Amino acid sequence: MAVSVETLPTHESDAVVRARRAQRTVGFGVFAALVLAATLVSREVPEWMDSGIQRWAQDRYQWSILNRQTSWVFTSFFTPIADFLTWAVENVESLLLALRWPGVVGIVFAIGWRIGGLSAGATGAAAMFGMGLIADWDHAMRTLAIMSVAVVIALVLGIPLGILTARSDRAESVVRVLLDTAQVMPIFVYLSPLVIFFGVQIPPAVMATVIYALPPAVRLTNLGLRQVPVVANEVGHSFGTTSWQQLLKVQLPLARRTILLGLNQVIMMAFAIVVLASLLGTGDLGRDVLAAVQKQQVGLAFSSGLGIVLMAVALDRISTGVRSTSTPQWARRLPRFSRGTARWTALGVVVATVVAGRLFSLSSFPSSWSVDVAGPIDSAVDWVESNVRRDVPIIGGTQAINDFLITEVLNPLQGFLQWLPWLVVVVAFAFVGWLSKGWKLAAAVAVCLALIATMGSDNDTVLWDHAMDTLSQVLVAIMLSVLIALPLGIWAGRNDTVQRVLRPFLDIAQVLPQFVYLIPVLFLFSIGRAAGVVACVIYAVPPCIRLTALGMREVPFAPREAAISFGATRRQEMRQVQLPLARKAILLGINQTMMMVLATVIIASLIGAGGLGLLAYRASAKPNIDFGLGTAGGLSIVLLAIVLDRLTQAWGANPDTERGR
Amino acid sequence: MTIIRRKRRIAAVVAGAVLATSLAACGDDEKTSSGGGLTGPAITLAVNPWTGSAVNAWVASVVIEANIGAPVEIIELDENSTWVGLDDGSIDAVLEVWPSGHAADYETYITDKGSVVDLGLLGPAAKIGWYVPKFVVDAHPELATWEGFMNPELAALFSTAESGDLGQFTMGDPSYVSYDEEIIENLGLPLKYVVAGTETALLAAIDQSIADQKPILLQFWQPHWKQLEVDLVEVQLPAITPECEASLASQDGAYVCDYPVDQLYKAANAGFQAKNAAAFAALSKMQLTTEQQSEIAGFVDRDGLTPEAAAKKWVDANPQVWQAWLA
Repeated sequence: MAVSVETLPTHESDAVVRARRAQRTVGFGVFAALVLAATLVSREVPEWMDSGIQRWAQDRYQWSILNRQTSWVFTSFFTPIADFLTWAVENVESLLLALRWPGVVGIVFAIGWRIGGLSAGATGAAAMFGMGLIADWDHAMRTLAIMSVAVVIALVLGIPLGILTARSDRAESVVRVLLDTAQVMPIFVYLSPLVIFFGVQIPPAVMATVIYALPPAVRLTNLGLRQVPVVANEVGHSFGTTSWQQLLKVQLPLARRTILLGLNQVIMMAFAIVVLASLLGTGDLGRDVLAAVQKQQVGLAFSSGLGIVLMAVALDRISTGVRSTSTPQWARRLPRFSRGTARWTALGVVVATVVAGRLFSLSSFPSSWSVDVAGPIDSAVDWVESNVRRDVPIIGGTQAINDFLITEVLNPLQGFLQWLPWLVVVVAFAFVGWLSKGWKLAAAVAVCLALIATMGSDNDTVLWDHAMDTLSQVLVAIMLSVLIALPLGIWAGRNDTVQRVLRPFLDIAQVLPQFVYLIPVLFLFSIGRAAGVVACVIYAVPPCIRLTALGMREVPFAPREAAISFGATRRQEMRQVQLPLARKAILLGINQTMMMVLATVIIASLIGAGGLGLLAYRASAKPNIDFGLGTAGGLSIVLLAIVLDRLTQAWGANPDTERGR
Repeated sequence: MTIIRRKRRIAAVVAGAVLATSLAACGDDEKTSSGGGLTGPAITLAVNPWTGSAVNAWVASVVIEANIGAPVEIIELDENSTWVGLDDGSIDAVLEVWPSGHAADYETYITDKGSVVDLGLLGPAAKIGWYVPKFVVDAHPELATWEGFMNPELAALFSTAESGDLGQFTMGDPSYVSYDEEIIENLGLPLKYVVAGTETALLAAIDQSIADQKPILLQFWQPHWKQLEVDLVEVQLPAITPECEASLASQDGAYVCDYPVDQLYKAANAGFQAKNAAAFAALSKMQLTTEQQSEIAGFVDRDGLTPEAAAKKWVDANPQVWQAWLA
């Protein structure tokens, strides 16, 4: 067990306190000695550390290009999979088109109703219908078909993996690193290999979606199974169940809610990648967004992007699987159905809508109904662009913020990190690891950072320097996100109105394709790192607000009540009772923010942020020259992410539960 | 358990949907995909994300469907995927490749592997270069050539927070060819090379520059629809010398000249000829002049037609041009 140097619980004896203090003094001594040694040993990353991974990856890529028609790996493995994926997506798509739009809306309603109640069904159907009003229905059905196939595959792979990791700690530690990689590895690194493996258009797009959306399926299955109470397992055992029976009859049913949450998260992740997957030629809603962005049609990009959001909302409502706690007034007044009647009514709705759709041959969503959202959005964006850039009282406008961020914040921080001898950075991070959780974490952190030093160089610049560039941007983005999200989250956690007002914005910011807001962000700021940081912040703030608010709300009422009855003011009660009790959830929120920022580094590189993100992007920009370089850049991002993730998780971990594991 | 009941509910809903679809299929008036007398396997043409690429493909599509009778499928995707599609035959042809950006692809797929064939020149020439907005040259005529940028004071007009005291040179998408960093270094210009990351970012930077009347120096090219919208002036770089040509071939990093003119070419999957010899012959012969291509692209970028409608309009009006491709 690692030596825990957590804040000391008050009941520990003086002897323990003194021992801890001594240990810490020794630790500081060792750290200082290591820093000195590191400075003397090597300031720059030495050349011999280059592992040659770039060359290696590039050679594998080139080999794949030359052998993709002949090697058995392709002819008897990848090609059949690709053919199956195309077949599956095409069939789902033609089914969706054959259902006609009323049928699809009817099915969304029926499933939503039966699973989440009338209001869930109605919201889902309304969202789907609204999508038809603002986006291209046929393209949306292509997107839906790709999503469905990818989600099913992610579940088929993810749930067994989750079961495996729940049953074996060793499997968990291996799979966890793979999942972290899948979540943070920029899609641009694996797009080109996927195209070589699976051809163009639909198959690689499905596979990219599966890779990106798989992690929550595994993680939440694992979590759900591990949360099954010990008592339930014991009872099963005492009745003599086999391991399989135990899994199927006790654990999986008890973990149902969490696994369903996993399904919901898988769907949301899949929607987050629609636009990037469309680079491969999917001809779907994602492509509409991309094409509009490429032609600078912000409004059009927004309306297709909102179409994606609405579809995500529809699927979210019908996959949440939890009856919404507050039924709205109008729904309560509706007649209540018995279970049998309800089933037949739902079936009736579906049959009626499908038959109606086909009889009236409503082949596509009527174009005359389409609502022009592009125009108003364009004028709104124009207004913002011409009024927020300069001459704003006090803050001066976005251009001033842009210049301030670059010259006063990012330049000094980046300069400092790059000036530090690289070993000092490694030692410093390892020391933070040691302080947080002991020598094991320190070693893991040191190894991860040292691996970045083995990634080689790009022309004359070692990847380490790019990593420090990216690290400086990531740190600034995380700091800004937390500064924005914590107060809002705390406020939303204590005030229902704020929560209700914020929620739709959070939903949209999380699912709206990032491409959509890149143009306004670019115009408000300028090409460069500040715009990149802002894009990261927009994407990373919502989960942090959400988790902070959730943490505040989950604090039991009793201790808060007690504090107030002892005469604490609202402010005191919040600062001294609610906030400390919500600490774990808030730290989880910060951890998520960090991962989101690192996942957005790649998007930031599309608007001039440079660093590791740009290297990773080059893997798909010029694959037959830069694939190796891009792979090294992508791996470095993953390593940075693992370091930051493990450190923040150690802060969030409660020493008591750690010991319990 | 509830989970099973829930599955049944969904199963019932899906079953209902399938049932209803098949019931209603009787009264169906669905179009068959081989409508219009088109026969044989579809010819797939790649469209990359710019107007020229789209109008070439749509013109070819209109001509082939009407005169050769084979269905044509247009696939929109990025350039790198296009080469992989050409390699495995999921894409039959692409009608506009910019040679400067694809020397490595040419070598891999056409020269070494032989899975892709060169279909000859399309006709129009394209040119990459250094551009500034016209208001910059109006105020400082010396900035019309590279020598003007030797003056640190003039170069500093292009400075930004990212470039500090130096002027900023803005490059767009890293997948496009760029010798800019070499040129800046070898000419000793007081400029900092900044990669915007995407063409979208580059376009936004142009808009910003025009709106603020703040000078910008960037890599840009002709033809591009943005050239119709804003006044950009090409900065004269040193003329191409034999030394520069040698440096280009050896990639020795000593390049100091202007960009060579890009002769756009066409490429096809090696099996395309066997798949449809008539279409293969037509696309080999297909040529447009720069003027013709800009005319069709103008229907799209200026008049707002779809690429398909623009192609039809031009094909109807210019039979003598495309009939030569079929001869």
